[in-house]
Amino acid sequence: MKSKRSNQLIKHSLLLGSTVLLLAACGNGDDNSSSESASDGNDGRTTLEFWSFWGSGARRETIEAIIEDYNASQDAVTVEHVYQPWGDIWTKSLAAIAGGNAPDVIVQDINSVKQRAEANQATNIQEYLDADDISGDFYPQLWDTVLYEDEAYALPFNTDTQVLFYNKTAFEEAGLDPETPPATWDELEEMARVLDQGSGDSWEQIGFYPRWNIGADVWALNADGGNAWFDNSGEVAINTPEKVEALEWMLEWQDYYGRDTINQYEAEFGSGVSDPFISGLVSMRGQNINYYTNLVENAPDDFEFGVAPLPEKEEGSGNWSWGGGFVLEVPANTDHPEESYDFMKYLSSTEVQEEFGMNSFDIMANAEANENLKEHPDLDEMGQMIYELADSNLEVTTITPVPLNAPDFSSLVNTEIDAAFLGQKTAQEALDDAQESVENLAQ
Amino acid sequence: MKAMHATNNQKKTHKPKWNKRKRNEALWGLLFVSPFIIGFIGFMFLPMVFSFIGSFTNYNITSRMDFIGFDNFRRMFTNDQLFLTSLYNTVFYVILNVPLTTAGGVFLAVLLNRNIRGITIFRTIFYLPAILSGVAVYVLWMQLLSPSSGLINTVLSWVGIAGPSWLFDPNWTKPALILMRLWSVGGAMLLYLATLQNVPNQLYESAEVDGAGPFRKLRHITLPLITPIIFYDVITSTIGAFQIFQEAYVMTENGTGGPANSLLFYNLHMWNKAFVAFDMGYAMAMSLVLFAIVIVLTFINLKLAPRWVHY
Repeated sequence: MKSKRSNQLIKHSLLLGSTVLLLAACGNGDDNSSSESASDGNDGRTTLEFWSFWGSGARRETIEAIIEDYNASQDAVTVEHVYQPWGDIWTKSLAAIAGGNAPDVIVQDINSVKQRAEANQATNIQEYLDADDISGDFYPQLWDTVLYEDEAYALPFNTDTQVLFYNKTAFEEAGLDPETPPATWDELEEMARVLDQGSGDSWEQIGFYPRWNIGADVWALNADGGNAWFDNSGEVAINTPEKVEALEWMLEWQDYYGRDTINQYEAEFGSGVSDPFISGLVSMRGQNINYYTNLVENAPDDFEFGVAPLPEKEEGSGNWSWGGGFVLEVPANTDHPEESYDFMKYLSSTEVQEEFGMNSFDIMANAEANENLKEHPDLDEMGQMIYELADSNLEVTTITPVPLNAPDFSSLVNTEIDAAFLGQKTAQEALDDAQESVENLAQ
Repeated sequence: MKAMHATNNQKKTHKPKWNKRKRNEALWGLLFVSPFIIGFIGFMFLPMVFSFIGSFTNYNITSRMDFIGFDNFRRMFTNDQLFLTSLYNTVFYVILNVPLTTAGGVFLAVLLNRNIRGITIFRTIFYLPAILSGVAVYVLWMQLLSPSSGLINTVLSWVGIAGPSWLFDPNWTKPALILMRLWSVGGAMLLYLATLQNVPNQLYESAEVDGAGPFRKLRHITLPLITPIIFYDVITSTIGAFQIFQEAYVMTENGTGGPANSLLFYNLHMWNKAFVAFDMGYAMAMSLVLFAIVIVLTFINLKLAPRWVHY
């Protein structure tokens, strides 16, 4: 009898236990006051969880030093930095937002702020800006990305811009002036022909190939006065005459070197074994200006290179370039938006931005920070020059936020561009088809 | 009335005791399987129901979930050309991959089902790729498949074949993935090997007495006897092949689907819709369509089975 009763006791308690477990698992974090989410710590400070993907190297060290300074600078808030891997951070945050246990501040992609604002994934921070407007601190096109229905949902943090890197030694050896990089597409082509060494399948030196490290979209934008696939007024502008010309121009380059050659080298670059620019195989290449860090770290000491704006299509068409970047955002439904905003504001302040840029060589969203870095005593001449170029290049840099009516349109355009490079369509046909299918999607 | 009486009587006489014991046992049984049942309901069944309901909405994970009827399904077939591309890519992959890996598995198993010295070493070698998985393998293969310096094209060039550009040529991207899958056919091989070892030896002996050669023995004894496992393998690998995602996600830049979208598989497109466009309702509808396709195929397989599967 006794054993039966204890049997039953075990059974009931087990059932109860598993039910509790199930309920706990199903609870979607409605009670935000649970100890796990941000709350008042023992010392009366509010704890903020800050997610970034800066997991190693200079960026991690710098951001952690900055956070330490922030924590020491006041006694209301303690910020905890949580590193999330690049590949996971945004899917994870989406799940966390849906589950009601999002971090307080997160580093997000600059191009999709509106998309998240529309989907109610981010907190509207306009009220804090109304109280103290800091929007003028940032480059205007960066500020545009954080506005949804004229209200701000994020603060820009850093950005980049694409420029032309060229090998000065190769220039000298080919008899070109190492201080005069190409300014127009024609000059680019002429100089590339001078720099080329080899033919057919085997090349010892390739002057330039436009689609290495830069997308076809960037050259299209460069040709078309800074208008991306969606132009500056938000209309689908894929098959404009300038963009068709740009694509034709890129196709000529492919014809010149041969598709097989291009594929072969591309596969080799992809494996990341050796950098074709550092190894001297490629003499000029378009790339994010941040590539400078790479060169400083990996190139031999006697490697001489120059940096210039992307050449313009023809004189006067503008050295238009493309950039991306990251913003700081407060996810929706978090408990401490005000404290979070204060921390974000701190991260966007000139001094902090300067410190971050100084150590990471990122181009910062705060214009004054970049201007200070142009003359920063701790940077060498080349480093200062990078910021000088970045600052001026940002005047002709287009940021391409995801259009709300067709967030995933780019795969449609890319298919058509690929078809052109595979010889299945002419440039005009490919872009006409892309125009049609994106218009169809955007309806 | 009489019947009721009878049952009542039964209850009164011997059934209650038996019933109680049985109920007790059932409860204990349920208790022990409860972790699975709870897990299944919580993490499989409810999400499936939710996904089913979500297919008819414009759910975007965080802010809206309005019922929109069959609009998602209509868009799939009329407004989304990449849907058809992705479906085509996936079906292409399934049609080539399933028969090839099945045949490869059987072939390897037959080869390795011999009593020669050091056979276990060969078995281990052929099985090894199956235990390697994920991104490391894909990166390895990206290097093997490199058009000029990759091992595969290098070997091909020794016999005078100019290898294709593999992952850079849209005509060769899917065959490249299938080649990669064939390399790790060891898992299926192991399954077949175990079955082959259960084929009674006397069948072969009597066939030999009747004068059957190796090919006839394979055709009329071995294959028929392992058809149940082939059947199992075909069904599971079909389902698995429809779910192809990782390979394309890792081996194409940022999961964009490779040259000319030739590696944009169904699940990759679905993933992009869900997590790039936040169009979760649409993605759920896509998963429902895939579910339907797989169910229909499995059903056809089951119906066809009696024609070739020997139990």
